[in-house]
Amino acid sequence: MLATIHTVALIGIEARPVRLEASAGQGVPATRIVGLGDTAVREASDRVQSAIKRSHLDYPGGRVIVNLSPADLKKTGTGFDLPMALAILAAHVPDSPAGSMSETSHDGEEKPTPKKPKGPNLTPRMLRGVWALGELGLDGQVRSVPGTLPAAAAARDQGAEVLLVSDHAAVEASLIDGLRVIPVATIGEAVGVLAGREAPRPIDDLPDVVTSTAKDLRDVRGQAVARRALEVAAAGGHHLLMSGPPGCGKTMLAERLPGLMPPLHVEEALEVATIHSVAGMRHPDAPLSLVPPFRAPHHTTSMAGLVGGGSGIPRPGELSLAHRGVLFIDELLEAPRSVLDVLRQPLENGEVRLVRSQHAVTYPSQVILVAATNPCPCGDLGHPTRRCRCGRAAVDRYRQRLSGPLADRIDLQVELRPVERDQLLAAPEGEPTAEVAARVRGARELAEERWGPGRTNRSARGEAVRATVAEAAIRALGRAVDALGMSARTFDRALRVGRTVADLDGRDTVSVDDVEEAVAYRLPVTVPVG
Amino acid sequence: MSVWEDVAEVGTDPALLRAAVEQHGRRGGAGALLRAARDRATADPGADVSALVRQVVTPVLAVAPETTALAERWARLGVTVALVGDPGYPSRLATGWPDTGGPTLVARRGAPWRDRPAVAIVGARRASGYGLGVAAWLASAVADAGITVVSGGALGIDAAAHGAAEHGGTVVALGAGHGVGYPREHAAPGGLFERVLAGGGTLLSEHLPDIPPVPANVRARNRIVAGLADVVVVVEGGERSGALVTAGYAADLGVPVMAVPGDVREPGSVAPHRLLAEGAAPCVRPLDLLEAVGQASVTSSDDSATATPPSLLPAAVRAELARRWPRPVRLDDLADATATPVGRLMGLITRARVAGELAEGPDGVRLLRAPRP
Repeated sequence: MLATIHTVALIGIEARPVRLEASAGQGVPATRIVGLGDTAVREASDRVQSAIKRSHLDYPGGRVIVNLSPADLKKTGTGFDLPMALAILAAHVPDSPAGSMSETSHDGEEKPTPKKPKGPNLTPRMLRGVWALGELGLDGQVRSVPGTLPAAAAARDQGAEVLLVSDHAAVEASLIDGLRVIPVATIGEAVGVLAGREAPRPIDDLPDVVTSTAKDLRDVRGQAVARRALEVAAAGGHHLLMSGPPGCGKTMLAERLPGLMPPLHVEEALEVATIHSVAGMRHPDAPLSLVPPFRAPHHTTSMAGLVGGGSGIPRPGELSLAHRGVLFIDELLEAPRSVLDVLRQPLENGEVRLVRSQHAVTYPSQVILVAATNPCPCGDLGHPTRRCRCGRAAVDRYRQRLSGPLADRIDLQVELRPVERDQLLAAPEGEPTAEVAARVRGARELAEERWGPGRTNRSARGEAVRATVAEAAIRALGRAVDALGMSARTFDRALRVGRTVADLDGRDTVSVDDVEEAVAYRLPVTVPVG
Repeated sequence: MSVWEDVAEVGTDPALLRAAVEQHGRRGGAGALLRAARDRATADPGADVSALVRQVVTPVLAVAPETTALAERWARLGVTVALVGDPGYPSRLATGWPDTGGPTLVARRGAPWRDRPAVAIVGARRASGYGLGVAAWLASAVADAGITVVSGGALGIDAAAHGAAEHGGTVVALGAGHGVGYPREHAAPGGLFERVLAGGGTLLSEHLPDIPPVPANVRARNRIVAGLADVVVVVEGGERSGALVTAGYAADLGVPVMAVPGDVREPGSVAPHRLLAEGAAPCVRPLDLLEAVGQASVTSSDDSATATPPSLLPAAVRAELARRWPRPVRLDDLADATATPVGRLMGLITRARVAGELAEGPDGVRLLRAPRP
């Protein structure tokens, strides 16, 4: 008999529907899987066979063929185990003579008292509208696989009636509206539920969504300039570079940026969760977080780790894991040039496109990059008590790496100094995140009104930004760029940042004051002197 | 050497000299001749330096305008060349050298040397905000009193001194030729050198246009700084600072040396404190310098006071900067102390920097000129 069930294949974060057909018939006992599966898919036959038998279900004794369609789409992973087992069971006609004949020839020992399944077996009809996804253990347990979220979304979009996944994955899949998700712990339970012998269990309650972060800006004392830069970064989506000696609070500040950014919409949060789900980094029970993600890869992270990669279908890298959130790279200037360069294009385009021989995968990567660097190779330049031991030429060389193509895309650059201990104790608590976030939200709304949903001042077109700047401000900016010996690129950057400053103040036209503030957010490439 | 021998052989006959120069001009360039003359002059302490130099150098310059690219290059750079004894040569450079001579020639961009009191303010390139502030304070005050501020045009203290005395015709002694553009930051368009020239100041070099700023040259220019000054004041410097070299030249020449006391914990205070220990007079205010050049009675003229443009900063910000002067103030602290929103403060700082009211250093911002009470 022939049985059909539906499942999905993941290409990156994109889930493609797959029709899985199983045919059980007479012949030499053998199981064959066709349809361009990788090793994990081919190995499914062993897991499926063992799982079925250990669950005291009948495995067809004759020739079993499993087809994954479309057959030209490369399929990877272990998520096909569960649908494959169900299709094989449905295709199997246990009481047929062929079945019992093969059973004798094939497995004599177990033959005497096979515990018969209670109640009726699966029939192909029971699989109508059913989607399933999960890996099987040899004992018949159903396990989660990465990518439950996009799979569930794809199943819903394809008109699935029900989706069978593991208990864990069910919690995650239930984030998708408009789809009936049934948790199954074992293959036996799956058969029982589909055959109508068992009632589906309820899904564990989804923990509430996370809407706030514990890292509050209130904890940061002093550092008024950096706080302001952080606010502007959140409001305009600008990348930020902080330079300062170790221990001046760069990481602490960066960690507080997601809390300042507007919370994600549910769809955005799902998109973020999907990427994490595909990367296998999402705990299935974890609540959906509306706080933008914060990723802090070490500066020695490989290129593949940053942009994504790996054999087979490339996995998302840190750039994509930080999608709609913050990518924080400490010690930016210690990172190899090649890594810095590889960041550039994704930051520009908001997506990473990874092309492999078999696939081309695109992962989104709309991030705010927060980079931190020491002011000099030893880190003590400008420290109030420690003395920098670097030669001037060494410092200049170090700094000049900042003039590279990556740093050119960083609109905001600030120099931080350590806050001295007595100052730290005397300083009042900083303004709390909630207050700053409210201003940021207002500014973002103005920007979206102007540029369209989801757009920020950083991503807006240069000419369009310029059109909202007062003539006098453009003239003042030209004078400042000339007088302070800045590069022409500063001009465009200052217009965008000025736009954000005006938005934070709720003004339509960018004024002289705004661009003058914007100009102040830049680091000298050479050591500041007299 | 052979060049010198050639020249010595032909003697002083102008026609022969001219021929020799033309030949060497083609072979090794006029620069070889000039260097040979210099070497000879320094190798023979008994020689009449200026006569020797003139003997060789005059024909070079006589030939140069028509035949060498050198003259064109100098003209393109806007440089005027004066030899020892020429009217344009600062007379105080020609005399008083115990053994080595003063510079053979002085290539000048900008205004000619004015024979009026001069103060050299020198110090470390890697200076603290305090040092930069003090240098600027001293420089602006003595410039207001009509005194020429001389320094070496380097980054750090030198730049702070020149920058604060821009309006008063400050003199920069370069450690390289005019064509080299060193230090890069100062030679850049809109940089310190351009501003010095715009303010009626002068750039001096003893070198041919393309001589590089090798350490020996940079050190050697310190003797010009010392030679031009009536008093040398060292603001900050490390153990092996060029400022000590300048002070050494000054001592050789009999030019008084002063030093600004610094923070005893700072490595940059080593040089001034050593000088103080060795008998240099402390300089703790501009008046000390005015007294040293005999101008104690001269107070800053009224016209320069009225020429100061009105401040672009709010009174509270300006007052705080004046209170902390000449120390720099960090923006974070300035925002706190004046209760100014930091965004607005940053805009104001940009505006004041563009207008030349503020300087930004490694430790924050400070007023570029001394605040008037």
